[in-house]
Amino acid sequence: MELKKSPAFTPHLEDELRESLKRCSPETVEAVLGFRQYGNFDGIPVIVLGIIERFLEPDVRHLLREGNDDTRLFEDLGVDSLLMVEIIILVEETLDISIANDELRDIRSVGDIKTYLDYKVKGIPIPKQNKRLTVEEIASVMPHQDPFLFIRESKISLNEAESIYTITGGEFFLEGHFKNNPVFPASILIEALGQLAVLYLIRNEKPEFEQPIDTSKVMFASCDGVRCHRVCRPGDILDLKVKLKRIRYPLVTFEGTITVGDEKAVFAEDITLAFDYES
Amino acid sequence: MRKVVVTGLGFVTSIGNDKATVIDSLCHLKHGIELFPPFQKDNIPVKLAAPIKEFNTESIDSEDWTSPSQYKLRMDTLRGLSPHGLYAYCAMVQAIQDAGLSEDEISNPKTGLFTASSGSVFMTYNHLNRMFKVGVLRTSPQGIISSIVGTLNFNLVAAFKIKGASCGFASACSSSGHALGYAHDEIALGRHDRMFVVGGEDGNFLNILPFAGMRVLTLSLDPDRASRPFDKNRDGFVGTGGAVVMVLEEESIARKRKADIYAEFKGWGQASDGYHVALSHPEGNGLIQSMQRALESVKLGPKDIDYINAHAPSTLAGDLSEMRALKNVFSQNNCKPAISSTKALTGHALSLASIMEASFSVLAIKENFTPGSAHIETLDPEAKGLNIINKTQEGSPKHVMSNSSGFGGANVSLIFSDPNL
Repeated sequence: MELKKSPAFTPHLEDELRESLKRCSPETVEAVLGFRQYGNFDGIPVIVLGIIERFLEPDVRHLLREGNDDTRLFEDLGVDSLLMVEIIILVEETLDISIANDELRDIRSVGDIKTYLDYKVKGIPIPKQNKRLTVEEIASVMPHQDPFLFIRESKISLNEAESIYTITGGEFFLEGHFKNNPVFPASILIEALGQLAVLYLIRNEKPEFEQPIDTSKVMFASCDGVRCHRVCRPGDILDLKVKLKRIRYPLVTFEGTITVGDEKAVFAEDITLAFDYES
Repeated sequence: MRKVVVTGLGFVTSIGNDKATVIDSLCHLKHGIELFPPFQKDNIPVKLAAPIKEFNTESIDSEDWTSPSQYKLRMDTLRGLSPHGLYAYCAMVQAIQDAGLSEDEISNPKTGLFTASSGSVFMTYNHLNRMFKVGVLRTSPQGIISSIVGTLNFNLVAAFKIKGASCGFASACSSSGHALGYAHDEIALGRHDRMFVVGGEDGNFLNILPFAGMRVLTLSLDPDRASRPFDKNRDGFVGTGGAVVMVLEEESIARKRKADIYAEFKGWGQASDGYHVALSHPEGNGLIQSMQRALESVKLGPKDIDYINAHAPSTLAGDLSEMRALKNVFSQNNCKPAISSTKALTGHALSLASIMEASFSVLAIKENFTPGSAHIETLDPEAKGLNIINKTQEGSPKHVMSNSSGFGGANVSLIFSDPNL
């Protein structure tokens, strides 16, 4: 694609940008100039990471360079709310955008920032992060119902969903699985991850899903690379998590994990659902 | 009442950035005054200042600042500081090391921190400029905390994890005297075991030059003779900045941890002139009252004081009223303590002045000297009857009084004594 130079980009503006970014890496400065001159979005991650890095203490910079989107701003990088504002001001100045206070509230990780700015500069509405759903809300939107609903209070973020389920011992199938030895079936553990993926699918705000999902048309398609590490029994609290891997209409693929306390219980490399939009 | 002792000092001053250099300057009357580069412009008649050496805080961006290599500041500490905040941080590091305090002794509910500074006009000015230029929502979030009065306590309390009382004092040139006095009382009354007292001033272009509007800055071009308190031909003060930290502790706690004790901080007095917003009372009425109250509070008479570190900034009116007050309290009672103004060497450090001079006074007690009053060529006739010493003398004073007077006629007199009496 040939990029057209913006008429608003003047030598004076370039000087100002270089001065503002004087403590950032040369790649960051070039990415900013590319964005401001030609509207080149590809440099946004470099710009954002470069600006954050410039404000970090030298001893934590390597965490940012390792490139993990899960790196937490406050806990891992020591970015407090005042420093966050400094970062935002420099981002605003260099990308020529304005960021409202309430848009920042849900930003917790490096990945959150990258996603947020990607949407922001492209003018796409910012999805609400970390949406929490109660059991009642879940029951009202899910096709699954008790006694075959295996997710409880859930949190839906932009690219993942989390939930918990406590094995009560009263589940009807435990009577026969196994005789005098209640073990939560591995197939139902996978079912629970599948249900969480369904919940994500129908309640996320990711703009890549073009229209509302028709809940009656969501079906399990495949599951690959499943490993069970631990037997789950009554009393165990299951921490369920699904992470979006890719969307290829009409299929959507997640990675799933279940942990009990600190112990890994289940890992599923691919859980794929088939879906369709409301017609 | 519990006894209060001084166990640590830290200095970033125009006459030295460590204790040894400061002592050398006081003993050999080496001043810190020079032709100040930012003043060398045709439209600025004031040419002299006593800047801080070995630091560079000229940039409006604190990340450009430099300090001697032994000080390691984290970026998150540096970001909220004004120039005098940086000086104070370094003076804190020195004072903590000097007092030999552990982390637990610094950070606990019985250790507090009182400060005195006029805030940073420099930071205020630059941040407001930025606000007008780029808009309200793009001004630095550190703008306020690095600028306003109180900037020293916010920053130092956070940087050193202070858990006791923290507060700033503002009475212009008496500010750090008030901070010391009230810190003394916190320990004497048993509320705290240990207090850091910190004074600081930027001492830069924006901090000093506005005093030219009051016509109180000397227009002298000669650094070696410009600041001359008690001289008949004195014509105004030389501005300076920096930071000084004093560690105060309850005596038995200090002795138990085998701290090296400089002096006992016996007590203090204060009084106001009730006369004029800026001028001191011509007869020094408020200062007389403050000196008498200090003496009463420590149960000493004028004859017991053997050295007075005067406020005397080298202004016409200020020095005059202090000389009259000193004669009233001491000469009229046939007492002739040695008197000097160390502002001849340092320049006038405004909010920082009182604690800087109090620190010189406790150094004198500990290090066996009595600082002289430099640069006097023609003694003001008004000083007749006062024992103004123009050379530093050998021998420690037993009881020292350190005076300070601020705008509005706010006077503070502090008394320090030999701890082994």
